[in-house]
Amino acid sequence: MHRIERDRSRFRQIVRGRLRKDLRKYLSSTELLGRRGDKAVSIPIPQIELPRFRFGDNSKQGVGQGEGDEGDAVEGEAQDGEGAGTAGDQPGQHILEVDVDLKELAEMLGEELQLPNIEPRGDRQLSTEGGKYTGIRPTGPKSLRHFRRTYDRALRRVIASGDWDPAAPKVIPVHDDERIRNRKSVNKPESSAVIFHIMDVSGSMGREQKDVVRIKAFWIDTWLRSQYDNLEVVYIVHDAVARIVDQETFFHLRESGGTKISSAYELFLDQVLERYRPEEWNIYPFHYSDGDNWSARDTERCVGLLRDEILPRVNQFCYGQVKSAYGSGQFKKDLDGALGEEEKLITAAVDDRDGVPEAIRAFLGGGV
Amino acid sequence: MVRTEPLPPELRAQNLEIEEIARSAGLDFFQVIFELLDARDVNALAAYTGFPVRYPSWRFGMEFERLDKGYSWGLSKIYELVINNDPTYAYLVRSNSQMEQKLVMAHVYGHADFFKNNIWFQPTERQMVSVMADNGVRVRRYIDTYGQETVERFLDMALALDDMIDPYLPLREHRKRKAPVKRRATPLERARRSLDATFAGRSRPEPEKEPNREAPSPERPAADLLGFLMEAADLPEWQRDILHIVRSEAYYFVPQRMTKIINEGWASFWHSRIMTRSLLGASDVVDFADCHSGATASQPGQLNPYKLGIELFRYAEEKGMDLFRLRAVHNDVSFIDAVIDEEFARRSNLFLYQRNPRSGRMEIADRDWRPIKAQLLSSLTGGGVPQIELVDADHEGRGELCLRHHFDGRELQLDQAGETLKQVARIWKRPCHLLTQAEGSPLRLSTDGEEISRVETAEAAEDAAEGGDDRLAG
Repeated sequence: MHRIERDRSRFRQIVRGRLRKDLRKYLSSTELLGRRGDKAVSIPIPQIELPRFRFGDNSKQGVGQGEGDEGDAVEGEAQDGEGAGTAGDQPGQHILEVDVDLKELAEMLGEELQLPNIEPRGDRQLSTEGGKYTGIRPTGPKSLRHFRRTYDRALRRVIASGDWDPAAPKVIPVHDDERIRNRKSVNKPESSAVIFHIMDVSGSMGREQKDVVRIKAFWIDTWLRSQYDNLEVVYIVHDAVARIVDQETFFHLRESGGTKISSAYELFLDQVLERYRPEEWNIYPFHYSDGDNWSARDTERCVGLLRDEILPRVNQFCYGQVKSAYGSGQFKKDLDGALGEEEKLITAAVDDRDGVPEAIRAFLGGGV
Repeated sequence: MVRTEPLPPELRAQNLEIEEIARSAGLDFFQVIFELLDARDVNALAAYTGFPVRYPSWRFGMEFERLDKGYSWGLSKIYELVINNDPTYAYLVRSNSQMEQKLVMAHVYGHADFFKNNIWFQPTERQMVSVMADNGVRVRRYIDTYGQETVERFLDMALALDDMIDPYLPLREHRKRKAPVKRRATPLERARRSLDATFAGRSRPEPEKEPNREAPSPERPAADLLGFLMEAADLPEWQRDILHIVRSEAYYFVPQRMTKIINEGWASFWHSRIMTRSLLGASDVVDFADCHSGATASQPGQLNPYKLGIELFRYAEEKGMDLFRLRAVHNDVSFIDAVIDEEFARRSNLFLYQRNPRSGRMEIADRDWRPIKAQLLSSLTGGGVPQIELVDADHEGRGELCLRHHFDGRELQLDQAGETLKQVARIWKRPCHLLTQAEGSPLRLSTDGEEISRVETAEAAEDAAEGGDDRLAG
C-alpha cells in the first residue's frame, strides 16, 4: 500500500523538523512497553497531538473492573480511547530503552546529512562495484538465458520459415535463438575525503565540555565512516601545543594546560600540505573548543591562517564551540566578526548535550 | 484498492456456514464481503480508519507508525476490520489461524447486524466507501491547486474541531426526512443530478441547508459548530468544502463512538455463542478460549468494552430482556442505564477509582453501584468529549462568536482550549470567546486568533450556570 507510505514519510519528515515546523511544538514521544526475552523494553513512538477541546487531568476518576478492596491501588491508569500498549505489570522493574532509538538516529543522520561541497578528486576515482545483468550475448550459461528474447527470436524464425501454424502454435527454440544475459560492471566515481577532528583539551575545557565534544565528534565520525568508503580520519588534540593522536586517545584523553589554537591550525596545515593535498582530497576539518584562546594575538594569527591558508584549501571548515563556565567564548565571536562572510566557514555554539544534534545538522546539513 | 484476494475455498465454505448459522439465529445484515489481507495492509487500512481511499494526511501516517511498531514488536495485533457500508466490508488477517478466522467471521456478523439495525446507525451514509473516495479526490485536487502545505494546514484546523458536532442531529434529521414516503429516484433523475453536480464542480451534491435554522442564542444553543462555520463563515469555496468533508466524515463516525461498548458487546456475544454452540471442534476449544479471553480481558483499572459489553448482554439475557430490541434502540449510555443494577455491578466486580490526594496514586474508592453507574454514564455522555455549544453568533453586536462549555465538574485543559479557540477564530475571522470554569471560578477565554486573554467574570458564572440548567431541563 504505497499511499500509507507517503503519509508515513510525510509524518516522519514533520517529526524530523523538515516540514511544517509549526507542528514541532506539539511533538511528544510516547512509548509502547514491550518485552524482549525476560526484559522489559520501551519502544518510543513519536506522536503529534494537536490541541483540541479536551478534559484536563484534574478530573481523573473512573470506573474499573477487578478484585480489590477500597483503598487498594489501581495499577495502570485508565485511559480514554484505546491504547495499543500494555501497562507494565511489574512495578520497580528497570526498563531498557530499545536500540530503536540509536538505529533511528543513524537513519535520520543518513537521510539528512551529507558532506557539503564534495567533489570528485584524487586518482582513486574509479572503483568497480558489483555489476548488473543488463547486457545480452549469444553464448553463456543456460541458467542466465533470457527467456523472452530467446522466445522472440525463435518465433521470428518459425514465422519467417513459413512453419507457423496458428492452429498448433508450436515454437521450439534452437541453439541459435538463444540469448544469454551478460553481466556488465558499473564504474562508480569515488571521492577521496579526509576528516580532521581537532579538539581543545586545555584546562578550561571541563569534563562536561569534553564530553559534549566527544559525543559530537563520535557521531560525526561514526556517521561519516558509514557513508564514505574512501575516508581517512586524522585526530588532533591541542592545548598550548598540538599533536596527532589515534582515535582511542582522542576519545579518552584528559589533559590540561594553556590554549594556543594557532598551534593546531599550523599542524593541520602541515598535514594538508604534506599528505592530503587539496587537488586529491576533499578536506573537512572539525574544530571543537570552548573558545577561550590564550591571547588576542594568537586569535589574530588564527584568523589570518584560516583566511589565507586554510579556507582556500578545504571544502568546509567547521568550528563548534562548547559553552563553558571558564571560557569566554570569545573565539567564535572573533571568527564570526572577521570571517563571517566566508561561505566555507561554519560556526556553531553548543550549550549542552541536547544541542549536539542541532550542531551536527549545522555542519552537515548540506546547505538545506 | 489494496492487494486483496477472494477467500481461499476452505474459508469460503466456512463463511457460508457461519452466515447460515448467523441468519438462523436471527441476525440480519447487509451482504458481508470478506477479504484476506497481510497484517501490514490491515494496519495501513486501520490507520485510514478502514477506508483505503482517504485524503492524504500525516495523521494517518502517524497512526500507521504506531500500529506497525506495535505489531512488529508483538504488542498489538488487529484481528479484523469491519466497515459500516452496504455491502459491509470486512478484512481478515492472513496470519490468523483457522480457528481465529472462524471466530472473527462470527464476530463480524455481529457487527454487521448491529450496523444495519441499531437506530443510531440509521442515518449513516451506507455508501461511505465511495463518499470517502470522492472526498479524497477533491482534497487531492485542492492540493494540486493550492499546494499541499496550504491545504494541510486548513485541514488540520478543521480536524481540531471535528468533535464539535451534534451527535443527535443526524437522527433528528433522519426522522424529519423519513415522514414523506421515500421514493427511489428514477435513472433519469439520477443522471440529471449527477450532471448538475459535475457542472457545479463537485461530484456530490451538498446536503440541503436547513431552511429553518435560527441564529444560535443562549436559548437555542448550537452544538454543531462545524456545521455553523461551514455555512456562515466567510471562506473560499475549497475551504468550505473541506469543512464539509471533515464534518460529514465526523458524522459518519460518531455513532461508532457512541456505541463502542454495546457494539463490541453484541459482536462478542455472538461470536461466543456461534462458536460454542455450533462451530467449535474439540481441537479448537483451547485455542478459542485463549483467544476469546484475550479479547475480553481487563487490565486492572481499565474498562474493556468487549468485556463489559458481553457481560451486559449476558446479564440482560438472564433477566429475560429482549436482546434484539436492546441492540436496536440503545447507545452505550442508554444501554448501561437500562441494564446496570446493583447485582450486575457486584458480579462484574465494578469499582470506582479516584486519585488519593495523600498518596498521589489511583485507588479503589467505592464499590457501591450508584456512584459507579453515575460515573460511567457521565464519562460516556457525549462520547467522552467536553460539551461545548455555540450560544451567540453576534456577541455584543460585534459579529463575534461566543461558545459555552457545559461544565459538569470536569475542567477543560485550558492551554489546549485556548489554542483550539484560536483555530475557531481563524476560521471565523473574528474574535471568539469561550465560557468555562477553572479551579472553581468562572472564566472567559477570548482570542482574536493570535493572542489569548483570560478574564474571570461573574457573567461567565451566570452563563455557565444557566447552561447547566438548560441541559437538565432539556
